[in-house]
Amino acid sequence: MSKEEDSPVIRRTTRSSSSAPVKSNETEIKKNAVTYSPTINDLAFGEDKLSFNDLLSSFPGRHIQIKEIMRILGPQDCPMFPQFIYGGASTGKTSVVLQIFRHLNRPFVYASCRTCYSQRILFECILNQLLLHKKNAANGYSSAKRCEKPSDFVNFLREAVANVTNSLKGNLGELGGSKLGGGPNGSMLYLIFDNLELVREWDKSSCILPFLFNLSNILKMPEVGFIFISNTSPDTYYSNIGYLEPIPVYFPEYTEEDLRQIFLRSQSNRKLYSSFLDIVLRPFCRITRKVDELAAAFSSLFQKYCEPLSDLTSVPNEEMKRKLFSHFQPHIATSLNEIFWILSEPFLEVEPRSETMQKGITRKLEGDQEFAEMDFHMSTSAKYLLISAFLASRNPATLDASLFDSTGGSESRKRKRKASEKSMEQKEVAEQESLLKGPGTFPLERLLAIFQCITSVLDGYLDEEEHANDLLKVGRGDGLMSDVLLQLSSLCNANFIIKGGSCPLETTTRYRSTISEDMALKIARSLKFPLANYLYRR
Amino acid sequence: MAPSASAPNSPPPCATETADNDLQPFFVLHKASSQKCYKKSGGSGKTRRRIELSPSLLSNGENAEIENADEFHYHQNVNMRIEAFHAVWSEIEETIKDVLRDINMNTFKAIYHWVNESFNTISTSERLNFLEATRSFPIVTNVASKQLFTGLVLTKNMEFVDDQMTFKELGMHLKSKGCHVANLSSLDFSAKNGIGGCLKSLFREFLLVTLDAVDISVLTTWYRKQQNCDSAMVIIISDMEQCHGSILSDFILMLSEWVLKVPVILIMGVTTTPDALRGILPSNVIQHLCPRKFILGSPSERMNAIVEAVLVKKCSSFSIGYEVAVFMRNYFFTQDGTITSFIRALKIACAQHFSLEPLSFLLQRFAVDDNNEGLQCEMHGISAEMILKQAFDLPSYRINKLGEQSMESLVRGFSELKNLQRHWSIVVLCLYEAGKWSRICLLDLICEALDPELFKLRVSSPNGFHNNSQASHIEPSMCKQYHRPQKGGFIRQAVRSVRDLPAVQLSKLLKVWEKITVDVPQIHEKVMELLSLLKFEEGKTSKEDMDEISKSARRYASRNHLNIAKVSRVVNDKAARLLESMVRNHMEPVECAPFHEIVCFKSIDKLKGALIGDPRRRVQVDLLQFQDIIQCGCCRTCNSLSPSMHDSSIMYSLAQEHGDLINLHDWYQSFKSVCLCSSNKGKHGSKYSPSPKKRKVVAGIAKPSEASIQARFCRAVTELKIVGLLQMPSKRRPDFVQRLAFGT
Repeated sequence: MSKEEDSPVIRRTTRSSSSAPVKSNETEIKKNAVTYSPTINDLAFGEDKLSFNDLLSSFPGRHIQIKEIMRILGPQDCPMFPQFIYGGASTGKTSVVLQIFRHLNRPFVYASCRTCYSQRILFECILNQLLLHKKNAANGYSSAKRCEKPSDFVNFLREAVANVTNSLKGNLGELGGSKLGGGPNGSMLYLIFDNLELVREWDKSSCILPFLFNLSNILKMPEVGFIFISNTSPDTYYSNIGYLEPIPVYFPEYTEEDLRQIFLRSQSNRKLYSSFLDIVLRPFCRITRKVDELAAAFSSLFQKYCEPLSDLTSVPNEEMKRKLFSHFQPHIATSLNEIFWILSEPFLEVEPRSETMQKGITRKLEGDQEFAEMDFHMSTSAKYLLISAFLASRNPATLDASLFDSTGGSESRKRKRKASEKSMEQKEVAEQESLLKGPGTFPLERLLAIFQCITSVLDGYLDEEEHANDLLKVGRGDGLMSDVLLQLSSLCNANFIIKGGSCPLETTTRYRSTISEDMALKIARSLKFPLANYLYRR
Repeated sequence: MAPSASAPNSPPPCATETADNDLQPFFVLHKASSQKCYKKSGGSGKTRRRIELSPSLLSNGENAEIENADEFHYHQNVNMRIEAFHAVWSEIEETIKDVLRDINMNTFKAIYHWVNESFNTISTSERLNFLEATRSFPIVTNVASKQLFTGLVLTKNMEFVDDQMTFKELGMHLKSKGCHVANLSSLDFSAKNGIGGCLKSLFREFLLVTLDAVDISVLTTWYRKQQNCDSAMVIIISDMEQCHGSILSDFILMLSEWVLKVPVILIMGVTTTPDALRGILPSNVIQHLCPRKFILGSPSERMNAIVEAVLVKKCSSFSIGYEVAVFMRNYFFTQDGTITSFIRALKIACAQHFSLEPLSFLLQRFAVDDNNEGLQCEMHGISAEMILKQAFDLPSYRINKLGEQSMESLVRGFSELKNLQRHWSIVVLCLYEAGKWSRICLLDLICEALDPELFKLRVSSPNGFHNNSQASHIEPSMCKQYHRPQKGGFIRQAVRSVRDLPAVQLSKLLKVWEKITVDVPQIHEKVMELLSLLKFEEGKTSKEDMDEISKSARRYASRNHLNIAKVSRVVNDKAARLLESMVRNHMEPVECAPFHEIVCFKSIDKLKGALIGDPRRRVQVDLLQFQDIIQCGCCRTCNSLSPSMHDSSIMYSLAQEHGDLINLHDWYQSFKSVCLCSSNKGKHGSKYSPSPKKRKVVAGIAKPSEASIQARFCRAVTELKIVGLLQMPSKRRPDFVQRLAFGT
């Protein structure tokens, strides 16, 4: 409590001395950074203000929403209803709200539920901002208040807000209502909660969401406004606890024209870029309209587009455009499916290429090509284990006997012949279903059994082929089984096999292999294992 | 089924003489290993007694005085051997460390370069002052600015163990260049601790303080304050695949929101393929990454480098025999595939060598002294006779029968051995350099080069270099043999590749050979000859070339091409023949030389036992033959099951009579009958079992109650289950347990 008493005093002293560091240039701030303490002015943007026209022009396609939000916010110092802004990812919700506040220059507190990943952090983050507290080495990076419970939060918040609004009013009084000092406009405080959809995952009891929605009711302070920003529509939040429903504002997806405006905004050579957009925007818009995804894709594509150009400032004519298009066209289709490009270090890239050159010389070596195909190292027994896991996931368990045991196979074939048409059909349907379900699960015992079958088959195979060779045979056979469980765990670590169930004592843990058939075939090829013979196909 | 057959040595006769009911696990452990091991154990009273009693070399017909002297020397010897082991191993370890560091250095430098570059891009894109940077709301100027620079470091090995040190070293490297580095592992990205735990460990790495409740804004203030501003912040996640996907994606999203305020650069270790990232992270997270790929040395590259440094260039003169080499090679390729386990195998081999070989302490001296003077002077109180006696007792000496047994001949033998090793390693290096073009693994080459029988074959049929092994290895089957190494395959392959080399690479190869063979004049001369020949031919042809071109006769040019090919073919042939002769004359495996036992480790069984271990088999054997461990008098007299035995042992012995499934009821009944048979001869039994625990069971004159037997039964079943020998009854067969382990 004593701290609470102190804080206004500190604030007052700092305010009188603060104007210098805030207005001084960057280098000075760097010097003073250690001693810098925040003031009430920091609650608003304060710096160069944004005119309303600039605001509108910086958000093409968002004019209706901006006006709507401004309407709900109302004039200065006017109480407002809680506001709920929603819309898909990357539709400009946060940017619009922040820029509106920059334009209005009103004090606000922003808390993103992504950065504040738990209830306590969220509360403390808001309180820290209100109490003008910065975590630093001097205070051991601790918060101003320790606050875990919603009830504590309400109490602290009430006191803090009262203090802040008082000093805001005082501020206004001192400056005579003029906007000279760069101080915030009005004495009304806004709380902005961003990424609200994440709150739903915090606790399953979900008491925090109704609490946040109800906060304005609980506080009963008209000088606090609430703005919630979320990815998902309000329907996904409402429970049957009664509280005042916030006013929704929806941000729809951008249209193609909007996107064109957005991408053209920051370009130096607009003509060139618009010719580029003519080509790419339409196909890409069919896939995604998220600005950030498109921006990532376009930035590298534009570089490709400009490759033939020597002068990037030139304005392309029709002929030029056609030339660029023909050069660029093959890249579009491939990049449509790809959102993830991995660049490799250029000079490292050179080495393997030279190796392949050398490989051309010693082409006869088959072993080399195998190494080139597998792009990481795995021990032989791990490869076998992975293949057996793949088989166990793919093949129905009932077929194991016929695949790995010659007598079992003939029996089942006989039985199959006897089966009636109808039962066959049913079986087929069931099999189709199981294919649609994806890789199946299997117990450890089955995996080990298949593993043993495969390796014993292979041992025989090797024996036939190179009975004279004892170099490899030393330590095979019995040795291969010794640390299979270790191998299994490292396969699990590499995400090739997924483990279900958790108790290590429970022997009924089931596994599932997640590798693709291509990969399995690749591995099998590197072992010279006839995988296709063992794969069950309908 | 019978495990007794594969059990280690039967208990020695001395056991009955020791206090009957002492539990002596340590004692027993020593006995379990083979006889030679007694030399390793220290001088406790009991072991000494064992030496006297065990049928060892020392005790046949020699009197007590000699024995005492021997023992004295023996203790001296042990200390020196331990010392020598530490010296030799630390040397090997240092070498390995250096080799591994050198392999990754290029990649590290590339990574640092990239870190610097990306840091510059971040910091130039937005210049923020302290106030802007520490605000809670994001900077909304540019959409594309949320990209997080991410380096994907491919380790090229599915097993991660080898690279734990690599990432630490990468961190050190970047730190030494002035970056702020945080080393995180997948443990920090577990679902249990959530994103909070991950941030906590991040701050512990950066700020060196442990905080209670942390959020990323702390990082901004820390970064902006102090003089931290002008260097990048690098976060290294060493094993990306093992991270919990949702935590990792939360982390990345959070960082990408703050990346302008805190210029974070992410480095992730990827053990499989970069595509794995796509499997873990959702697409909306992946689009925030701006990835760059880096490749570390592949395991086989590292392996080659380590083998070259340790086993071929011999940083210490410790070496391994043929069988051991083959075993270690197979262990690496088929079993484990990690460098870590290879090094561990090497260490075990080294330790075993020093513990088994009484003269191994000479190895240290062997490596240091060039003229072997160290041998002649006194060996710290070990008499020369002792050394001579032991040295001339070595089987390799007895086979070769070298003249008189004097110190001089020993010294001569040593220097010969050393010479031989040097020649051997030079030839192997030459072969390796030649084989590099066809990517022959050094370990394979070594296995072949160490084979004494192959060497004998080569020597006995000097002309038959090409068909020294089976007749099936004629040309048509050539390509088949390449991927399946066969006797004589790799060396032949290397020689062959010399024949096929184009002139430019041949001259490169010859230059490398020139460097390698500098110590051996007789080979060096020949290499120099070849080089000069090649240079001469090259000069000639190029001159001709000029002339031909000036005449601009295409016809001649084509002939000239032929000419060049012919000339280089001649040189190639000569080089290949030189290599062949080197292999034949200078590559004598260490096992062919006298006294090689002193430097060479050969006992493969020891290594196998120590490395592979077979815990489940061991458990079964111990359960069935517990008498070897619990040296009590009560149980060892009777071969049948007695109630004084441990419950789990009884149960497991009983289970041997069942098949795949064990009926619980039957099992219980037989267990009960065993337990009850005790009370019939209760008084009789109590005499034999002075151990308090057993007495408690037996001393009760009344029969053990049904309930207590049931309880013991349940406990034993659970114990067997925990050990992994049983599976508990399933729902389908509620009164059967399933056996999981059969035989041993």
